[in-house]
Amino acid sequence: MSVSDATTALTEELAARDDMIVCEGLNKWFGDFQALDQITAVIKEREVVVVLGPSGSGKSTWIRCINRLEVHQEGRILVDGVELTNDLRNIEKIRSEVGMVFQQFNLFPHLTVLDNITLAPIWVRKKPKAEAEELARSLLERVGIPEQAEKYPGQLSGGQQQRVAIARALAMEPRIMLFDEPTSALDPEMIKEVLDVMKELALSGMTMMVVTHEMGFAREVADRVIFMEDGQIVETGTPEHFFTNPQEERTKLFLSQIL
Amino acid sequence: MTMPMGEGAVTAAAPAEAWADEREPAQKPEEPSLSAGEWLSRNLFSSAVNSVLTVVFTLLVLLAVRGLLNFTFSEERTWRAVKTNMRFLFTHAYPQEQYVRIWVCVGAIAVLSGLSIGLLAKTGRGISLKKLSMNLMGSGALIALGILLREPSAVVGDEGAVLHRDAAGAAGDSFVGWLDANALTVLGVLVLANVALAGWFHLQGTYLQGGPGPRVAHGVLVLASIGVLIVEQYAAGEVVREPFSEAMSDRAWWWLAAALLAGAGAAAWFGLGDSRRRNTFVPAMHVFFVVAGMAVLSGWVYPWGHYAFLEGEFISEPGSTVAMTTKLPWTVMWILLVGAYMLGRSLRTARAGPRLRLPLNLLWLLTPFVLYWAVLRDPDLDWDHVLTTDIPMALFFAAFGGLAIWFLAHPRVGEAGRIMAVVLVGVAALNWVAAFFGWYPMLQKARISFLLLAVIALLAHNFAGDRTQRMRLVAAWVALMAVFHWLVTLVNSPSTVKTPTDALVGGFSITLIVSTFTLLLAFPMGVLLALARTSKLPIFRVLSTVYIEVFRGVPLITLLFFFNVIFNLFLPQNMSLVDIAGATVGFALFSAAYLAENIRGGLQAVRRGQYEASDAVGFTTVQRTLFIVLPQALRVSIPPLVGQVIATFKETSLLAVVGIFDFLFIADKVISAQSEFLGVKREGLLFVSFIYWIFAYNMSKHSQRLEKRLGVGER
Repeated sequence: MSVSDATTALTEELAARDDMIVCEGLNKWFGDFQALDQITAVIKEREVVVVLGPSGSGKSTWIRCINRLEVHQEGRILVDGVELTNDLRNIEKIRSEVGMVFQQFNLFPHLTVLDNITLAPIWVRKKPKAEAEELARSLLERVGIPEQAEKYPGQLSGGQQQRVAIARALAMEPRIMLFDEPTSALDPEMIKEVLDVMKELALSGMTMMVVTHEMGFAREVADRVIFMEDGQIVETGTPEHFFTNPQEERTKLFLSQIL
Repeated sequence: MTMPMGEGAVTAAAPAEAWADEREPAQKPEEPSLSAGEWLSRNLFSSAVNSVLTVVFTLLVLLAVRGLLNFTFSEERTWRAVKTNMRFLFTHAYPQEQYVRIWVCVGAIAVLSGLSIGLLAKTGRGISLKKLSMNLMGSGALIALGILLREPSAVVGDEGAVLHRDAAGAAGDSFVGWLDANALTVLGVLVLANVALAGWFHLQGTYLQGGPGPRVAHGVLVLASIGVLIVEQYAAGEVVREPFSEAMSDRAWWWLAAALLAGAGAAAWFGLGDSRRRNTFVPAMHVFFVVAGMAVLSGWVYPWGHYAFLEGEFISEPGSTVAMTTKLPWTVMWILLVGAYMLGRSLRTARAGPRLRLPLNLLWLLTPFVLYWAVLRDPDLDWDHVLTTDIPMALFFAAFGGLAIWFLAHPRVGEAGRIMAVVLVGVAALNWVAAFFGWYPMLQKARISFLLLAVIALLAHNFAGDRTQRMRLVAAWVALMAVFHWLVTLVNSPSTVKTPTDALVGGFSITLIVSTFTLLLAFPMGVLLALARTSKLPIFRVLSTVYIEVFRGVPLITLLFFFNVIFNLFLPQNMSLVDIAGATVGFALFSAAYLAENIRGGLQAVRRGQYEASDAVGFTTVQRTLFIVLPQALRVSIPPLVGQVIATFKETSLLAVVGIFDFLFIADKVISAQSEFLGVKREGLLFVSFIYWIFAYNMSKHSQRLEKRLGVGER
């Protein structure tokens, strides 16, 4: 397929205005190791997509390509109609549209919880400080820890930190939220409090792409499950279909190992 | 919770939850305080080996202290040399009739310090009265021990007449005189006795298991050893020494001081009664103020003697109190410090308090420049020039720059802003090129102002925001222009203060001035170099690496010589700070390289996740660096940074090699060349070391507190 063909194909597809993330033919290598192999997928507005797969299958790499924390080498990514290229302005625009939650929380340890949340709205969104603080407090209310606003991240539990991280991402009022294994670094008793926040977010209609090992979450919340292995998308389907009637051998093997 | 015995039945019958509800919140049990004996036996005599180490090192320390005491208080020492040259040591040739300027500077710093400490300093719990009274008693005891340890200072003949006053006894005035054969023998015997006792206890198996008895016995032997060491020096040996009673009566003032301190401590200890009250706390600053107040008071009552070297005349009045020109200003300084502190404390609780933090920090930043250029130099302003050129130019830059920034910091300014910023950078660059080739004359400050404006124009979109935000940016710019133009005008005006040397001041003042300006210059440079060295752009990386490697590879003295010679070429005429400025630039370039490496260490300690998180929320590179990366990196690098600050502070003594009369140079070469004090060096050097130590130690203490407060090492 030539380049011009690919462009036309994409433009046609983009006629549907509710496409939030479009990936086409993504390839990425770390040295000689191919981390992503011809990833093509579309995520619609208000859709919740869970990406599953064994570790090292490229799930995190893919999700990190979407806001340019990793640079893909071949293929195209369009986020809300804007293509990710080396143009800094596009990258800035996309990053302010896309919220991201990390496995290791990555809160700013030298700032209070409130400052962690308000810093980006004030300096990136150019919001007045008072407005940003009001927003931050309402978000903390939403994730269930309004009383922790003046504390520092180091004084919070892992679950609380991850909820602050979600609030921080939401403060930018993103249209898409990316979750990169948000519960993997948490103690078991704290996983639920984070998952509850994510469920509430999904129900409110946020477009979400979640890399996780929480099968319960995938079953209950996801609109669609994407299974990856060795940098390729192996199988895509609704949770019902995926968990009860997988088609591919590799999917069956994966499910038999973890369920 | 305490409960009378009679109600015990209720507790037994009540269900566990009810008991838990009723229970007072658990309190941490108070740590049992050890008695002195228990503390000694647990920490110093816990085993045979520890006992041996304790004994050997106690005796060694005592001997060293005795040596220092003998040296310091020997009749041979002419401390008069230091007292007489006090003004010289601190300010060199600053004219006496202008001396009030020095005091204005000290006063300004006292007021700022007092305000900052009162308003901003995090006061910990302070010092407990228990600890304070123990410290008082301890220092009293230490002085008493010192008096006893010091050797008798005279040699007495057969008929009881003093033949020769000689500090170090038989061995003459050599520094190791105190370690004579006699003392060594006694020392050896004492150590052996202690080792034998420890060994015997050990063989008996009574050392650790047998209760405190054996260890206490051992402690007593150590005390006895010290006693023998003290008595030994009054024993008649080869040389007949001053009798004990006379030696002690010579030191009556010291006995008085020891008795007062120990008495005050004991009064506090016993007067406070039960242990609960001893655990009340007083702020550490109050203790400091009292101590400083006593020192100032002593200037009015204690006969320190009046010594001075004024206009070629030596003044020496041993019996009187210090001169009025010393005690009066210090009293005023003390009052200013305490007054400002109290003002700060009262503002702390007021609503305006937290808002004063920024202005106060800015004042600190401004103080060195204003004090040096405006107060110490007393610039002779050319008012015609100021009115016709300086003020209009400052107004132009304030207005033009303010408008430009107001426009550029608008969040929606877009492409036009970028173009305008690039144009400004072009104008700024053109100014410098034109100046280099001499195409048209333009004042240095106009060129620098253009450069500043260009830099801010480039960065403006990073700090764009709502109306108030932009107003603040513009206000900051106007203030910067006003201050900058005023300071440059001050520098360019000739000084009315005339001194015989090129430098305005010398001595310790120059140490403080040069190290302050060095750090003010070197710190931003170091940060920029460190950022450049870790930058993704190869050109920055290479340039910064080359700079750092070159400046770390060249001896500091070379740089000082070099800049002392060539710096003149870059400055306008009539500037009187040429030599200091050259040296300061040399120091700054040198320390910047080291600071950069320290900060780079901190930058590398910032985790990758922090960069990713800042990118993910959409920060630009400048914002990420300023808000996220640098604060964390600087926090991590506090210990090495303070190390570098202390090093820079001490390295200023190299100023002597470029012919500036610095503190150390005066003590070493100048005083010893005065006809009154020919060859007197040791006193000055000891005094200089002491002053350097006080400052360096305080910096190090302060950095420890800062580390604790910022939680270095805690994630």
